[in-house]
Amino acid sequence: MATAAEQWVLVEMVQALYEAPAYHLILEGILILWIIRLLFSKTYKLQERSDLTLKEKEELIEEWQPEPLVPPVSKDHPALNYNIVSGPPSHNIVVNGKECINFASFNFLGLLDNPRLKAAALASLKKYGVGTCGPRGFYGTFDVHLDLEDRLAKFMKTEEAIIYSYGFATIASAIPAYSKRGDIVFVDKAACFAIQKGLQASRSDIKLFNHNDMDDLERLLKEQEIEDQKNPRKARVTRRFIIVEGLYMNTGTVCPLPELVKLKYKYKARIFLEESLSFGVLGEHGRGVTEHFGINIDDIDLISANMENSLASIGGFCCGRSFVIDHQRLSGQGYCFSASLPPLLAAAAIEALNIMEENPGIFAVLKEKCKRIHKALQGIPGLKVVGESISPALHLQLEETTGCRERDVKLLQEIVNQCMDRGIALTQARYLEKEEKYLPPPSIRVVVTVEQTEEELEKAASTISEVAQTVLL
Amino acid sequence: MLYIICSQPFGQSPSCFAVFSLVLTDSAVIHALFSPQGMYVFLHAVKGTPFETPDQGKARLLTHWEQLDYGVQFTSSRKFFTISPIILYFLASFYTKYDTTHFILNTASLLSVLIPKMPQLHGVRIFGINKY
Repeated sequence: MATAAEQWVLVEMVQALYEAPAYHLILEGILILWIIRLLFSKTYKLQERSDLTLKEKEELIEEWQPEPLVPPVSKDHPALNYNIVSGPPSHNIVVNGKECINFASFNFLGLLDNPRLKAAALASLKKYGVGTCGPRGFYGTFDVHLDLEDRLAKFMKTEEAIIYSYGFATIASAIPAYSKRGDIVFVDKAACFAIQKGLQASRSDIKLFNHNDMDDLERLLKEQEIEDQKNPRKARVTRRFIIVEGLYMNTGTVCPLPELVKLKYKYKARIFLEESLSFGVLGEHGRGVTEHFGINIDDIDLISANMENSLASIGGFCCGRSFVIDHQRLSGQGYCFSASLPPLLAAAAIEALNIMEENPGIFAVLKEKCKRIHKALQGIPGLKVVGESISPALHLQLEETTGCRERDVKLLQEIVNQCMDRGIALTQARYLEKEEKYLPPPSIRVVVTVEQTEEELEKAASTISEVAQTVLL
Repeated sequence: MLYIICSQPFGQSPSCFAVFSLVLTDSAVIHALFSPQGMYVFLHAVKGTPFETPDQGKARLLTHWEQLDYGVQFTSSRKFFTISPIILYFLASFYTKYDTTHFILNTASLLSVLIPKMPQLHGVRIFGINKY
């Protein structure tokens, strides 16, 4: 300290100040003025420029008429007249007091009423209670959740899986966890509503390609490649995703996964596969569309499915590589901010997986039945079958539309009602008409389950055929 | 005082702004962090956030200065960050006895830290450097 003090005697310093060069002092003066200006500046937001005067604002407020909170809706809107189901919606369903054969619920493997599932759920109910009352991070993680994640990862032969408590929220949380502003997503036009909402939440650039049209997708990818070459620094920072469904709910078709994987490696994009309908349906052991085409599961970056169809539980899961899935544990909004799956449903899902692993023969049986009903429903006058022969959920659309969607919906509803009178429970595919990007035409959705016998399938086909003839001709 | 701490290992007349030592002692590291050079790197060169934010990537291409206070100009934090290098500059030029070499280096450092803080330069990337 003493040696340092020798170098900086205060008198010498002040002397140096007097001898300071003029330009330096001028600069310091300017800086002091700058400080004073800073201290007195007001804070302001950069883009706030309101071009309206106060008077104009008042005028606008005066002439605004509020819309009614509940818009006027016709009395026979389907959401106001629902069919009431008593008892479980299993193979024989009691709708509005009538007993029908269920061709509407997505109970593909018939596990909804399975006694083993019910026993597992009851045991879990007695052990854990009903709900979890907390998200996964706040004491909402039970051993059944970890078990189910483990089992799903092993079943799908991926590294890790993550569980969501609501099927819709699964893909809608997974997409915005990876794709942000500035990223590019190539989506099929027939993607389901959950994917659309996930894309909307992600704020990314969406590029839609025609349904199952790989040439259209390649055209879009090529255009993007040209853009990337113009600006390689930006391209290095943008992520590209291709989001497809394994089995599309809106059209009943399967995505061409081998071509997609080729395109993925050619144009360096990541594939997110949404397997809600194909999990537990396609493939030799029910592992979904990757097994159906024989594609290595590591080629797909993320597989997302909901457990509400084949597994007859609630919720959804995503599976993939560890470092991909781990990211969702902090970034998946539906995972972090919703209560976790009730343990009784997780136990039921584990039991359903057990059943699926024990008898893999049911998938071949289901495929047979799908082919049978696909063939039987061909040739109905006035209705055309939309969907592949291996799809358990097909659509019956009107061959010639009346021109007005409401009238089409009424006609189809008439068919559905008459079928229900004759003991076949069907439903129309419902959409939020104002919110869907590419609204599919109105259709009746026919669902095939393992529990339907061949006679019932024949009966359904003939019933629909008769009813269609009476209604449409 | 910073100049006493940092002059001990160097034993030369200090310039709070220009550190010419090749040996990274602790005091040199702390010095570098709080110096205008460190301030430039952390506030105006590095973009985005080191953690996930719920804004879906709005701040990915913004520097820390542009993210401060959600882009509102002349808030108290911004005023503090603008004024502190100026004060350091006054101190440094006082203690180097207004020497010419030190003056050039110190003024260059000060300008490199002051100019990006102006509201006219919000989001501006000169010559496309650091744009993506």
